[in-house]
Amino acid sequence: MSKPIIELRDYSYRYSSDEELVLQNISLTIDEGDFIGVVGCNRAGKSTLCKSIVGILPFVFGGDWNGEIVIDGQSLNETKGKGTTDVVGIVFQDAESQFTQQTVEDEIAFAMCNFGYDRALMRERVRFAAEACGLMGMLDRSPYHLSGGQQQRLAVASILALQPRVIILDESTSQLDPLGRDEIFRLVGELHRMGRTVIMVDHNIEKIASTVDKVMVLHQGRLVAYGEPHTVFANKELLEDHFVRLPQVADAALSLPHRLAPGAGTPITLEEAVSAFAPLKKGGA
Amino acid sequence: MAEVALRAQKLVHTYPRGNVTALKGVDLDIHVGDILSIVGQNGSGKTTLVRHFNGLLRPTAGSIFLMGEETAGKSVAEMSRRCGYVFQNPNHQIFCTTVREELEVAPKNFGFSPEETEEQLARVTELMGLEPLLDKHPMTLDYTTKKIITIASVLVFHPEILVLDEPTGGLDEVGRQMLTKVIRLMHQEGHTVVIISHDMDYVAENSSRVVVMAQGEIWDDAPPEKAFLSTDVLRRAQVEPPQIMQLDLALQGAGAQSAALSVADFVAKYR
Repeated sequence: MSKPIIELRDYSYRYSSDEELVLQNISLTIDEGDFIGVVGCNRAGKSTLCKSIVGILPFVFGGDWNGEIVIDGQSLNETKGKGTTDVVGIVFQDAESQFTQQTVEDEIAFAMCNFGYDRALMRERVRFAAEACGLMGMLDRSPYHLSGGQQQRLAVASILALQPRVIILDESTSQLDPLGRDEIFRLVGELHRMGRTVIMVDHNIEKIASTVDKVMVLHQGRLVAYGEPHTVFANKELLEDHFVRLPQVADAALSLPHRLAPGAGTPITLEEAVSAFAPLKKGGA
Repeated sequence: MAEVALRAQKLVHTYPRGNVTALKGVDLDIHVGDILSIVGQNGSGKTTLVRHFNGLLRPTAGSIFLMGEETAGKSVAEMSRRCGYVFQNPNHQIFCTTVREELEVAPKNFGFSPEETEEQLARVTELMGLEPLLDKHPMTLDYTTKKIITIASVLVFHPEILVLDEPTGGLDEVGRQMLTKVIRLMHQEGHTVVIISHDMDYVAENSSRVVVMAQGEIWDDAPPEKAFLSTDVLRRAQVEPPQIMQLDLALQGAGAQSAALSVADFVAKYR
């Protein structure tokens, strides 16, 4: 039986400088161990949602809110966000802006220093995080001299060192080239297999479709779809209405239902599409 | 054959720090009216190459010709008047406190009269739907909108050649659709467009030529329907064709002579 780790109950949020609500009456549950992809066009509320889950909004930067967010059974309205970082860690789009230290090792240890961790434990955690993120060979290097993909991996490592049960990546791959992007998707896939809950905001629909267990579609502050990727990505009309692209193969399959193998559902990955379109194969039926 | 808008001749560029040779004798002719996309991994030399087109970088050896003229000795201002450059990161380009001022900088610097500036500003504002944003501070806008503003700030002075470094990076679907519209319009108006991109879906659907770069060299230069079939070159250059093309190639098996570049192509082919 899956156990809820994050619950939003009729949650709305407005920045203090804005009149409009950026999130409107969002209710949803994320279970421990889920791998969630969050998609939607700009101003959908994706980043606001992420920041609300860690309590940065409204408890650090202010703003008005309604409703409640419950993290691991504790309401943020009561904890005011205190202790949330033990459960949830967040990595932002621009990793470089997050660095403060001169070496990769110190960067990974930085948050733990602030939380007053014991030295031996810090060493152990740095090692764990660096190994998980493939940074063992570069502990002495400057964070600023790493490639984009390595920098994002370092940002993930510095969060991972705190061993949060939930890791949020807010457009962490959007500044990366395809190799860097694949590095991050591989890494979070690995963390998910290790039992972590992952929430990933990303514009790369094909990558999201082939990686996550559940997709959340936001538009203008509202939750417009939340479910299994095959179900969400088969709803072309809904996605197009909210300016979200479908994976190319799903789009093609929805336009050519009569060309699919009998019984094939809408494919959302290349592998699925090759079997679904088997009747079109050269020499095929 | 159309006139050559940009010519790189035996272009070599060595960065002084680290002594890295980023371009190793590149020869490339870009013709008027081309929509040419340059693809390749980070470090392949794409940005180094295009930064020579408006004088931001100067050749270590070799030459650049802009609309037939050798560019040695020409200033960045002279070159960028004819070859507008939109940076990858809009935060590196924007510096004014309102969108209107940001759009007026280049025309004013290039000596447009106030009437001309106003006229061009009105044209671009309408084209890109910027009216509600003119009095806003650009840095308060979201990433996609900032990116659109930087593109507008170049379109406004009507350069003959438009260079866009990673234009779809960080753009949402609304931004992509607007970008496509703008580039098609520029093309119809006879402009030459050079795009650097990792976004192969976009490149496949929106280019007339694809140049594949790796290790400071050009490894391939062909229309997209040919370039994306050179699977061996692409694999070595670590470039992945669009998903729909990979599907079409997988369905056809070895020896495919052509493949769908877009979902629309695929649907038309197998309808």
